[in-house]
Amino acid sequence: MAISYWRRRDRYYRLLGNKCSGCGSEYYPPVYICRRCGSESLMDVEMPKTGQIITYTVLREVMAGFEGQQPLVLGIIRLDNGVKILGQIVDTPLEALRIGSRVKMVFRKIREESEAGQIYYGYKFTTL
Amino acid sequence: MGRVIVASVGYTKVGDHWDKSILDLAVEASKKALKPYSNIKPDVVIVANMFSGQSSKQEHLGALLASALNLVGIPAFKIEAACASGGVAFNVGYRMIRSGEADTALIVGVEKMRDLDVPEVSLALSMAESAEYTQFIGATFLSLNAMLARLYQETYNVTREELSAFPVIAHQNATTAEHAQFRKAINVDDVARSPLVSDPLRLLDCAPIGDGAAAILLTSDRVDEEDEVEVLSSKISTNIFSLYEREDMLTFSATKEAASKAFSEAGISLSDVDVLEIHDAFSVTAALSVEAMGFSKPGEGAKDAAAGVYSLKGRHPALTFGGLKGRGHPVGATGLYQIAELWLQLKGRGGLNQVDGCRIGVAQNIGGVDTTSVVTVLARR
Repeated sequence: MAISYWRRRDRYYRLLGNKCSGCGSEYYPPVYICRRCGSESLMDVEMPKTGQIITYTVLREVMAGFEGQQPLVLGIIRLDNGVKILGQIVDTPLEALRIGSRVKMVFRKIREESEAGQIYYGYKFTTL
Repeated sequence: MGRVIVASVGYTKVGDHWDKSILDLAVEASKKALKPYSNIKPDVVIVANMFSGQSSKQEHLGALLASALNLVGIPAFKIEAACASGGVAFNVGYRMIRSGEADTALIVGVEKMRDLDVPEVSLALSMAESAEYTQFIGATFLSLNAMLARLYQETYNVTREELSAFPVIAHQNATTAEHAQFRKAINVDDVARSPLVSDPLRLLDCAPIGDGAAAILLTSDRVDEEDEVEVLSSKISTNIFSLYEREDMLTFSATKEAASKAFSEAGISLSDVDVLEIHDAFSVTAALSVEAMGFSKPGEGAKDAAAGVYSLKGRHPALTFGGLKGRGHPVGATGLYQIAELWLQLKGRGGLNQVDGCRIGVAQNIGGVDTTSVVTVLARR
């Protein structure tokens, strides 16, 4: 897991997606071939760090590796460039969760494997 | 092109099989399917399974099962397409017979889920989504479907009671299905009072975790029977991989395309379908599935279910032995349980669950959130 995490560190730390050189479509996660025009000429580009909640849930049954973190608030967010992204929503009272709420990206710990094990960091979102 | 016949089926009860291994289950279902045709030796064994490596530390299931069945020498392999593994394996067996590569095929779906605890099952299932961008942040299938359910209710003004209709139908039909995991009727109040697991989804919106195996013996038209069940078509389609990458999250476009092609190849229209098995892993999944296939208009799947359209005596009888919710959802086997149940219906062996006079049955089996979809059409001759 450590190597596959390291490989994607810029994706996780800076929301580095990509953009089609042909038609300008942007993607996160990055794509290999532009879905809109089929171009294979894509360049890395950082996504905007703000957007709004399209839908969300409060997950009360977490998967292995996330024990102790429940409930986990997850949302699909439309970033200001139109790209949709899945992320955790933190530091927000549950009763303040709304479709349409403005959010910004924050850099957080995702999980840790054990006291002496790997710690994974990445993006989460918080309401503005 | 020769015809392809579902000659026989075999399956285990779905649920807790503490005393049986993944191979025990696969052999049990296989023997039941092979029993009526002791003269037939399959030309190929195809195993449908999603996560035997996770649950049983066992891969190479094709050769493992072929060897256990004393079928050494024939081709045998595993097909994996998440929860659509069963439907895809069926499709491959069907194509092998149609192409003349095989005369008979034994297709066996199996999943051992209960040896894992619930967080481990959630992790194993999440491997059907993006490991790097969905699983990494802790999003499970339950949470993705919950976000979809919220969007569905919000977009189409679907009430809690309407969303509960498919689970209620599933449980009602499962009460009289011997192989079902949950043979207990529930009502909309039970669903509304069940624990919130990922809002708006409650426990009774979700298919359970269970072990099971289902086997299908497919043959060319050598087997001569009057009421034989023929495969009219089987089509696979795929969608943009992750739910959140799709512009329109509420249209199951893989199901839409697979259904349209399958119905067209079978030469049938919606009104010809007498019995329907859909992939009701979650209440919202059932609703979006019937909408994508065209049985309900967009936004009206759950409302139609609440109005009785999909009940056993309704216009489109669905989930006739309980579906994924009531019969259970041993993921890699599910698509083949659906085929086995259509076979029971078309043979008139449905018992208390029989849909009278049915001739054409349709199964829809999906992997991921409609990421892979298989639609199969069977008919009684």
